[in-house]
Amino acid sequence: MRQHDGTPAIEVVELRQVYGDFEAVRGVSFSVARGELFALLGTNGAGKTTTVEVLEGYRAASKGRVRVLGLDPRRDRRTLRPRVGIMLQEGGFLDDLTVAETVAAWRGLAADTGRRVNGDVLELVGLTAKARTRVRQLSGGQRRRLELALAVLARPEVLFLDEPTTGMDPEARRDTWEVIRALRAEGTTVLLTTHYLEEAERLADHLAIMHQGVIHVRGTVADVVAEAGDRITFTLPEVEWAELPVLAGTKPTVTYGDGRGLVSYTINGSSPAARAHAALRPLLDWAAERRLTLERLEVRRGTLEDVFLNVVGEAR
Amino acid sequence: MTTDIRHAVRLARLDLKLLGRNQTALVNVVILPVLLAWMFAGLTPTGAAVAGVPAGLFVLTGMPGLMLTFAVFVNLVNGFTARREELVLKRLWGGMASPAGVLGGMALSAFVVYLLQVALLVLWITGVEDGPAPANIPLALLASLLGAAVVALLAAALSGITRTAELAQVTVLPGLVVMLLGAPLFVPVAWLPEPLRLPAELVPTTPVVEIMRTAFLGADHIGGLGERLTVGEQWVAALPSFGILLGWLVVAALLAHRLFRWDRRRG
Repeated sequence: MRQHDGTPAIEVVELRQVYGDFEAVRGVSFSVARGELFALLGTNGAGKTTTVEVLEGYRAASKGRVRVLGLDPRRDRRTLRPRVGIMLQEGGFLDDLTVAETVAAWRGLAADTGRRVNGDVLELVGLTAKARTRVRQLSGGQRRRLELALAVLARPEVLFLDEPTTGMDPEARRDTWEVIRALRAEGTTVLLTTHYLEEAERLADHLAIMHQGVIHVRGTVADVVAEAGDRITFTLPEVEWAELPVLAGTKPTVTYGDGRGLVSYTINGSSPAARAHAALRPLLDWAAERRLTLERLEVRRGTLEDVFLNVVGEAR
Repeated sequence: MTTDIRHAVRLARLDLKLLGRNQTALVNVVILPVLLAWMFAGLTPTGAAVAGVPAGLFVLTGMPGLMLTFAVFVNLVNGFTARREELVLKRLWGGMASPAGVLGGMALSAFVVYLLQVALLVLWITGVEDGPAPANIPLALLASLLGAAVVALLAAALSGITRTAELAQVTVLPGLVVMLLGAPLFVPVAWLPEPLRLPAELVPTTPVVEIMRTAFLGADHIGGLGERLTVGEQWVAALPSFGILLGWLVVAALLAHRLFRWDRRRG
């Protein structure tokens, strides 16, 4: 993580956003250091887009404080405008222009501000073959790529990407990730919203999981995943379930099926590297004493999906 | 400021390019003024005179006020609303151009279309109707510019309370009716019954109609009945009308500031 000076690129403190009597964002705080890629992960309707739109300046915060490059996104919009790139969830293009004309128009607008513009953005996003196509004839994924091309055209210092790969096929998604990685490598700060766990896991330096207007978990990808705990699972024919040992302070959960029980432990130890190992020995000793075989024994690390489902499940 | 102007010019050129691709719209832009001119000139009885000029000429020289209503006001209410619904305005807002640049660009393209229509009208008047050449082009241009600014801002305000482009056909009607019936297209304001004169003077397109007619004919058609005026006297006679336009400019700007929307409504 690079730090250019003291001020973070993005700062959100106790943001609240109210529409009528519906509170879409309920006290959200986070900050993004310069040059960092921050992913805001959440289900649809979690409040991600609302949060981003406040940062982009589209909406005034109902309560709380937001800063982008140390500036107020609405009051200082004129100063911020050339320094920020915005990729909306849904593009409003002029459908009768061709792809090349659209880029040329945006390039002109950027050049008028005295901004140094990126060279061949169509090449960058893989749309060169579509340059002479009318925008109205593009597929959903191609429109997303055009959108990305426009957002990065003026080499923004801060880039907002609202669900950048929605509607893309897997290959296009991978290509887009490469583009985003390259921008980050050049020092662009990126705030990305997504509901694809893999996307956040692969790209983000830090991420936050948002649900129903609140951030539930936040940290580096490794930190957040560590929070999921390690999973130890096995099946047993009927035994005295109450006799199952407590491992690292955790009781198992047991689910039944076909006259057998699926036993599952979630090990949340202070030492993510050693906790699964430490929990396994007392379990094996317990089984040996009873001459039991732990069938289909499985030990695996927690995943981002586990954390995510936990957050969504708990909140329900 | 200069960046805003550059942006506005660039966006206006883009709009005109798109207009050039839309043959139906293009035909409307060229045909409408000629059709109106032909129709109104045909409607007025030959030999009749209004305020010292042949009735046909009187009507035709006020026609720019009508064109302002259609080419700028109605077009922009439609344009602003459609582009908001298509999220074009939202995208532009998030881009490099300032709000003034974006709105100015769209208004500028409508103004250029308007000037083109007025030019066609002038050609019709001088060529087909044997009318005189325009007497005071700078005065006419200034009135056009101010009038266009006023109705563009009114259009921006109205689009803010118009949910869809289809609804725009309805929401423009009250404004349209006021501007068509209230502006002195067929008879001078002085011929109206006393209680109607002040309201008629306050219709936003009335000053444009009166100044344009005065500038074209070189005679007093601002409250007057066609007395000959020198170029200097024309400017002086136009001052009260400019006052009304400036008043409208302030009101329209405030309304636009309050009502204009860049994004769709939620829910």
